[in-house]
Amino acid sequence: MGLITAFQSESPLHPKAREVLLDAFDQGWAEPRKIHQASRRAALLRDEARQSLATSLQVRGGDLHFLGEASLGFHLGISGLLNGTMYHSATSRSEVFAIAHGVNAVEIPFNSPLPLGAPGDVLAWQAVNGETGIRAADPQGFTGRIFLDATATHSGNHGRWDAALWDSGTWTGPRGLGIFVVKSREVWKNPLPHLDQRVAPGDRSIPLVLASAVALENFAQGYAAARARIRTMNERIRHFVLNEIGDVDIAGDFESMEIGEPAKLSLSFLYVDAEQLVSELDRAGFAVDSGSACSSLEMKPSHVLAAMGLLTHGNVRLTLRAEHTDSYIDSFLVALKECVLRLR
Amino acid sequence: MIKVDSRGKSCPQPIIDIAAAMNLHADEVDFTLRSDDEATWIDLQAWARMTGHRIEITGDDSFVITR
Repeated sequence: MGLITAFQSESPLHPKAREVLLDAFDQGWAEPRKIHQASRRAALLRDEARQSLATSLQVRGGDLHFLGEASLGFHLGISGLLNGTMYHSATSRSEVFAIAHGVNAVEIPFNSPLPLGAPGDVLAWQAVNGETGIRAADPQGFTGRIFLDATATHSGNHGRWDAALWDSGTWTGPRGLGIFVVKSREVWKNPLPHLDQRVAPGDRSIPLVLASAVALENFAQGYAAARARIRTMNERIRHFVLNEIGDVDIAGDFESMEIGEPAKLSLSFLYVDAEQLVSELDRAGFAVDSGSACSSLEMKPSHVLAAMGLLTHGNVRLTLRAEHTDSYIDSFLVALKECVLRLR
Repeated sequence: MIKVDSRGKSCPQPIIDIAAAMNLHADEVDFTLRSDDEATWIDLQAWARMTGHRIEITGDDSFVITR
């Protein structure tokens, strides 16, 4: 597989994960709860993958569960912990808003102080916002339970929390696989219909779990080595668009500690139609995401941009990767400037 | 007071319209904008922050902009 030459958030499977996948399908096809040899082999593979993921995410293997649909983890985590009021940020993912719709919930405006809460309350805390890379204030003072939305990160070091969710697609693993961790079964009650002590419902693909573990291990190593360069890339793009293009609203202050994830960058260009900008950049060979209304099927602007008070039109979102070379970024910036100026 | 009517237009056209009107009428200080696009008020606030203009919402789809 070649270089990842795009800025959209989703990515092809990590080459190392792809390498193991076929063999994993040969070895891990059986139902792991049965006693046949093939089942024992599958169970062994699953347990190795679980331990590998647990080590990478700095959690206990026994607390980690696989979800065949990552979004289900929001309901499992929040509803499973909730025994009072639910608090969540105005920049939360739509799955969180959907849960808040049916319970006693309080939305916390962007950059507002976090509540203290009560013991049965739940704070749905987004470690890093997936659209902008901005890190939320630490919920250290919160006295209730904390659900950690870690779907935009590939790490587990996020302070105190009770249940957490990761998305395998974030680390170039297979999409459609969630990693759900619940630390204390005493405060967590399964909100789904269930007959036994299992946390995650249904079956999931052991080969995909194994591929996810391999992808995370390799992605984390590559990212750690490239983080400083990605940060420089982020800073360079910010500097260029401010000085060479102008009239641009950039999410997050680079100098402050707001930027939790330098691989994410959100830029809104004044007087530009985002749909046209995304199409023009695509024609120039650069795939980007957008949070503008005209680029979404619902014709609604990104609630994240709106909550942060940022310009919602002319928006492009970039996911920067270790594979992006300096010359690739140079070419992109030339194309971006040409497209923005032409559309204005 | 210059009046700009961008009703029926979606983002970013209302912001483009008001900016164009302000360029055209460089001596005018006060402008009104009418827009029924749901992103307009959000974007007007960001635009005002970026350009230094003052804005006020005067109705469901009415805004006053002061240079």
